[in-house]
Amino acid sequence: MSNKNLKYLTGPFSANNPVIVQILGICSALAVTVQLKPAIVMALSVTAVTAFANLVMSLLRNGLPSRIRIIVQLVVIATLVILVDQVLKAFVYDVSKQLSVYVGLIITNCIVMGRVEAFALGNGPWASFLDGIGNGLGYGLILVIVAFFRELFGSGTLYGFRVIPESWYIAEGGFYANNGLMLFPPMALIICGCIIWVHRSKNKDLQEK
Amino acid sequence: MNKNSNTYIVIYSTVMVVVVATLLAVAALALKSRQNANILNEKKEAILASLSASDQNYDEYITAYVVDAEGQQIEGQDPLQLLFDLKTAFAEKTLPVFEAQDGRIVVPVTGVGLWGPMWGYVALEQDRNTIAGVVLDHAGETPGLGAEVATPKHQAMYKGKTLFEGDEFVSVSLRKGGAKDLAHEVDAISGGTKTSDGVTAMLKNSLGAYLPLLKVAAPATEEACCEACAECETNKVENNE
Repeated sequence: MSNKNLKYLTGPFSANNPVIVQILGICSALAVTVQLKPAIVMALSVTAVTAFANLVMSLLRNGLPSRIRIIVQLVVIATLVILVDQVLKAFVYDVSKQLSVYVGLIITNCIVMGRVEAFALGNGPWASFLDGIGNGLGYGLILVIVAFFRELFGSGTLYGFRVIPESWYIAEGGFYANNGLMLFPPMALIICGCIIWVHRSKNKDLQEK
Repeated sequence: MNKNSNTYIVIYSTVMVVVVATLLAVAALALKSRQNANILNEKKEAILASLSASDQNYDEYITAYVVDAEGQQIEGQDPLQLLFDLKTAFAEKTLPVFEAQDGRIVVPVTGVGLWGPMWGYVALEQDRNTIAGVVLDHAGETPGLGAEVATPKHQAMYKGKTLFEGDEFVSVSLRKGGAKDLAHEVDAISGGTKTSDGVTAMLKNSLGAYLPLLKVAAPATEEACCEACAECETNKVENNE
């Protein structure tokens, strides 16, 4: 893989991260991060959708009438999302129930259409595909970090496995209680804020003058 | 070729729509049986959950049958398949009943909330009057408000409520501001008034359809028992004489 292609893939992980640098796709990042499992499934679903939406749109870009450009993008993205939804319903039904409306809302995730408009319409299929994977994973990375803290402090578990021992809890005669605020969306926003804070303090070129 | 001419755009969109429609239809058909198996499994689990018997094996623990409007068993219908279209099942009076080994029964309920359909399972104790547990679910009630009906916290409140006041069927209702009549009411959901009203109507209508089945077992046996006792009392008296 050439250096340029590698940059398309890894750029969105940090320096060009869709969530914490471009501040896109925040709403679903707040909604599905109470636990790790739905966050990971959501991350993979978005990655699949961005990658294939970019690929398809990049292949179509030369024959595409510019007047119906946005509608074609929407149709392609919506089709991919419905396919993802069907596959989830067939193979991981419980997770699909947990994600409920948010799978459908991948259609409106700004990252997907943003990447198609900004990248896929001006680049080749392979580069677009990598860019889609990169952005999906960059989004997923933040989702997983947020979900890690929310599940650990909100439920005392990680990926459904108990991490904080039962005997620590007040109900069992211990001293510990789960932080109920972690289960609510505002806490996801606060964690996102903390990630942005740490990230900017490490990346001087991202800081506004 | 002019890519922005109307002819080109019309042909382009037509081809695109046909391709997309074919793709989605194929995917939907190919995955349908797997999805239905998942849904069926979920329904079985919900039935067991309403009985607080999630550790039991459905096939061993539950006997399912179908009754008509008079509470008579009818043959030739699959109770589990009826759950897929409960609205029609209620309209046609083919009512599925799920009886546990210990004599408790589970009946499905169906209705509408604020945004769309709601459904659930009500488990009744052997007296066919006291609620042993409920499981409620919905298609698209507002998360945090109406969707609270699907939480264990809300559903726990139904346990121990009774459907009959004497001989009269009163069902269980959700009261705004908190339950007053502790035998037949549970707390409604704050900010979910329409959904709460929907649940009240759902319980009343759906459980009402099963009335013959409930009444047969509930107050009637009580009467029979009392008569029997009265009879033996008189017998005793007679014998003493």
